[in-house]
Amino acid sequence: MSAVEPYDKDWGVGVSGMVDNPSPFPRINNMLKWLDGFTAGVDHERACLVTEVYQKFSGKPQIVKCAEALSHVLRNITLQIQPNELIVGGLAAQPKSAPVFPEFSITWMLDEIKNNPWKNRTHDVHIMSEETEKNILELGEYWVGKTVEDLIKSTSTDEEAKGTSAGKGVFFLDLYTTGGIGHVCANYEKLFKLGFGGLKKKVEEKLASVDRSLPEDIKKRNFYQAQLIVLDASIKYIKRYALLAQEMAAKEQDKVRKNELLQIADNCAWVSENPPRTFWEAIQLYNIATNIILLESNGHSITYGRFDQLFYPFYKNDIDNKTTTREFVQELIENFFIKIHQLNKIRDVGNTIIATGVRMGGTALDVGGVDKYGRDATNDLSYMVLDAHAHTRIPNPWMAARVHANTPPEFKIKLFNVIRIGTGEPKILNDEVYIPAAMNYGRSLEDARDYVGVGCVEPDAAGKEYGWHDAAYFNMAKVLELAINDGRCVGCAANCPRWEICGSVGKRLGAQTGSLADFKSFDEVLDAYDKQMEYWCDRLVSCINIMDISHQQLKPLPYLSLLIDDCIEKGVDVSAGGAKYNFSGPQGVGTGSVADGLATIKQLVFEDKKVTGAELLKAVNDNWEGHEPLYALVNSDKIHHYGNDDNYADELASFALSTYCKHVEKRPNARGGMFMPGVYSVSINVLCGLFQNASIEGRKSYEPISDCLGPVHTYAGSHDISGPTAIANSVSKLDLVRVGNGTILNWKFTPTCLTGETGRDNLISVIDGFFEKKGMQSQFNVVSRKTLLAAQANPEKYKGLLVRVAGYSAYFVELSKELQDDLIGRTELSFD
Amino acid sequence: MKSDFGIEGIVFNIQRYTIHDGPGIRTEVFLKGCPLRCKWCSNPESMKTGPEVGVYADRCIGVDKCGYCLSACPQSQDRVIFTADNKVTGIDREKCTNCNKCAESCPANALMTWGNKMTVTEVMKVILADREFYRKSGGGVTLSGGEVFLQWEFAFELLKECKENYLHTCVESALHVRTDILEKIYPYVDLVLTDIKHMNSTKHMEFTGVGNELILQNIKKTVEMNKPLVIRIPVVPEHNNCEENIRTTAEFIVNELHNRVNQVQLLPYRQLGTEKYSSLGIEYPMDDFKPVKRIVWEQNIIHLVKVMKSYGVPAVAGTTSKINL
Ligand code: SF4
Ligand code: SF4
Repeated sequence: MSAVEPYDKDWGVGVSGMVDNPSPFPRINNMLKWLDGFTAGVDHERACLVTEVYQKFSGKPQIVKCAEALSHVLRNITLQIQPNELIVGGLAAQPKSAPVFPEFSITWMLDEIKNNPWKNRTHDVHIMSEETEKNILELGEYWVGKTVEDLIKSTSTDEEAKGTSAGKGVFFLDLYTTGGIGHVCANYEKLFKLGFGGLKKKVEEKLASVDRSLPEDIKKRNFYQAQLIVLDASIKYIKRYALLAQEMAAKEQDKVRKNELLQIADNCAWVSENPPRTFWEAIQLYNIATNIILLESNGHSITYGRFDQLFYPFYKNDIDNKTTTREFVQELIENFFIKIHQLNKIRDVGNTIIATGVRMGGTALDVGGVDKYGRDATNDLSYMVLDAHAHTRIPNPWMAARVHANTPPEFKIKLFNVIRIGTGEPKILNDEVYIPAAMNYGRSLEDARDYVGVGCVEPDAAGKEYGWHDAAYFNMAKVLELAINDGRCVGCAANCPRWEICGSVGKRLGAQTGSLADFKSFDEVLDAYDKQMEYWCDRLVSCINIMDISHQQLKPLPYLSLLIDDCIEKGVDVSAGGAKYNFSGPQGVGTGSVADGLATIKQLVFEDKKVTGAELLKAVNDNWEGHEPLYALVNSDKIHHYGNDDNYADELASFALSTYCKHVEKRPNARGGMFMPGVYSVSINVLCGLFQNASIEGRKSYEPISDCLGPVHTYAGSHDISGPTAIANSVSKLDLVRVGNGTILNWKFTPTCLTGETGRDNLISVIDGFFEKKGMQSQFNVVSRKTLLAAQANPEKYKGLLVRVAGYSAYFVELSKELQDDLIGRTELSFD
Repeated sequence: MKSDFGIEGIVFNIQRYTIHDGPGIRTEVFLKGCPLRCKWCSNPESMKTGPEVGVYADRCIGVDKCGYCLSACPQSQDRVIFTADNKVTGIDREKCTNCNKCAESCPANALMTWGNKMTVTEVMKVILADREFYRKSGGGVTLSGGEVFLQWEFAFELLKECKENYLHTCVESALHVRTDILEKIYPYVDLVLTDIKHMNSTKHMEFTGVGNELILQNIKKTVEMNKPLVIRIPVVPEHNNCEENIRTTAEFIVNELHNRVNQVQLLPYRQLGTEKYSSLGIEYPMDDFKPVKRIVWEQNIIHLVKVMKSYGVPAVAGTTSKINL
């Protein structure tokens, strides 16, 4: 058996994860099955240890207190080595168990434990023992009023908070209000070079050079002392694993496993202080060093960086010296994926709407792309990582493949064969846009070329940046609503919770920008949108800066600061601006909704004069009831709609997006860096919709707004009807280089559309064409039978779903029931 | 047809990103009108040459709430538009002048026009929007129908324009057309897709309304003129689904065409387009036909492919195999 698969290995189309034993390695299949036996849970151990330290050291400088807390956790938390595994480490004793971080927020947790237990959630269920429940309720009392969330909320005025989810949901800050920041990639290269021992030496030297008479240096002294505390604890933590492995080896009957455990013990003992020498040692250190970041703060999207680049020297050395085989390296990578898959984070029920079923979330890992000098950097490991996904079929890590003009064709074939499996992994990032976008926000050419995609898609100068990439989600469609309704919400009435302080006393939520009933020209509409946007971006920026200052004050991160340049150099914590690059990235949501709303107004009110502005406003105020023909019309192809390669609407999409960017980009943030807008929604377009009544583009009340860079889909139908090349053309008209925090484009294909070499190669060509036109990112849904059934039940939601029929392709929902049934039954043996 | 902007054609659909009618990513232009009446035709809207209005009653919002079409129809005193249960359900095809006013006014696409007059320039604008994708994939343009050659002057101008833009062109035709027209147009065509529906002319007549002599002659002509050629055999139960016919076809390809075809595709028949028939008020010709189980049918096709291959013919099942040009 050769574990390293041929580059054109075909795993089938749309089969997704629905296979037994996907890996050629029995160990991997066994581990996957073993893991399936566990349900997500919550673990109190970390919270108890942290609380003890905070109570004991309440008078110490904050950064020292935080260091002592992490140290106490690392020295005492229960460790586990799982059956079969070759790489050890974890966040809690049980796999899939989420530790608790009371430093960030506690109120929601106490409330949910008492009133909405996690085991009763409709999704993201977590189980918890009685002991855990009791412990959290007890320690919770200490934390009420002392958390980061408490500080943020008490700092914000109503004027600032009225746009948040506590107000009318113009923007959402929930992630960083209730949890840590995360969204960062450590400098693993440096870690592999120095080891924890080398880092310790560096910090000691810096501490020795501090001038204790300078007031600034006192802060630095505290910082370095805190770093030494966490360094010693980290070394100890890895040694504890070495010890445990040794103990287990002593008891192990099976000879093969015994030797594995002994090797694990040796690996841990060595890398606790020294730079790794082999691939196995390196991946062991990598895993534990990252877990410590996740134990220090519960910020998610701790990114694993460019795996193929980081590990190639170890791989090559081992292979050249014949100390390992490709098969064994492949097995280690797959083992590592399973380790990542166990990481978990508990979120409040509101935040699970934003991130349903993601567990930890954002475990990004990149392969491919160019090197620091712009040359293709694809290597053996790039292929092996893609194979590892095909062999595990789990949603972790969140894989990204970087491609560029000179990506080898073999790599693309491997990539698209994996995509065709239909798990949705990996996504593709286009270097030709990412690199200029990264440079546009001040990163050097070298750093830009060496970017990683953090979290979902955010460009990040790996190991040198604290990007706050997930700072907020901002509803651009709500801004359009307020812009054309004189600053009031559509449907403003006494049932609004703000009525007493707002509508009833003659006030309004937003800026007074005039009403669609009175506008004389379309330019006035555009102007109103621009002014309203400025008003809300001001508030967004101020809220994010308040969050930033609160995190700095209460939750410095001395461990993470070891692994981000130039914190040690500057003697400044990463939370306070120690990184080389500092950004704050809020995402604009609803590009498609705003584009289609504006196009509708322009066409119907100011050009065709089919309806008046007042009538259109009345229709949305009435949630389209009694306006059925108008509702059908705005949702029909008689209106210019974004996503059809129609300049009329596409230019308005461009306006929608660039107006947001204009009011956000490059404003100063609280760490000496700047704001950097993104335009994607993940699934927050659903949440945005819940805060909005009906809107002009044909949405009914509370319906989701458009997702990411995608065209509009409403209950009445999809607005894009011209197929994938038209979408590619529409999207690539947007100025994506400006969107420095990244964009997402979701593609949906049916498996029948992608079968055969022709299906594969034409898909590659669409994406090649899209990227040549400066599309930034792509991710794929190869729709399964299940989806086709859903499409059959709700045809209006799936209008753009292109399927392969007989000698031609057609839209699924336009087909007869019989043919749909035929297609549904077609996925296995399909050749036409 | 001529307008101020040059020749016009009646186009009933332009589909971007078609990937199975010729190599690579293609834009397919469907011209309206066809002289054949194949019983299994899945595009009844392509048969007549002029524009027609299709009626999709279940999309109608309700005459009480809307009724725009009734006011828009210039013949409305004549009750051209039928309604039932508050919905528009049909059109009196005798009285309808195909002025298209109702479909223009309908907000819900319950009334839809099949067939638009378009100039070469207008069609080219859509075609050229995807030129980068043709280049990346080795794709181009396919003219289809209906029968492309019913509007041959328009097709000619369009193909010429495509070649002037260095696009790969493909024509999908039944080849039931005067041979001199082919000779005139072929210089602008890079690949021909055509069907052999039956080798027996009587049978051919029975199921398509025309004999096969002209078609077979034109296929030979195509080969003589060295045009790359893909032959498709729609395998239709109760029509040409017998091994004997497949063998005769293979012999024709080997003996008469000297096997100079780039690919022979055997396509499984599917019961499609029944809704379109009813929207146009036409009866579905194969209504009483009971489809065979898919898997059985596909196995049958695979068997027929093997039979063809035994003659050395480059036969494949379906349209997803690469065409060697
Ligand atoms: S009172 Fe009216 S304008 Fe003010 S927040 Fe409520 S709905 Fe919006
Ligand atoms: S215009 Fe369309 S939706 Fe309105 S009544 Fe006529 S068919 Fe029905």
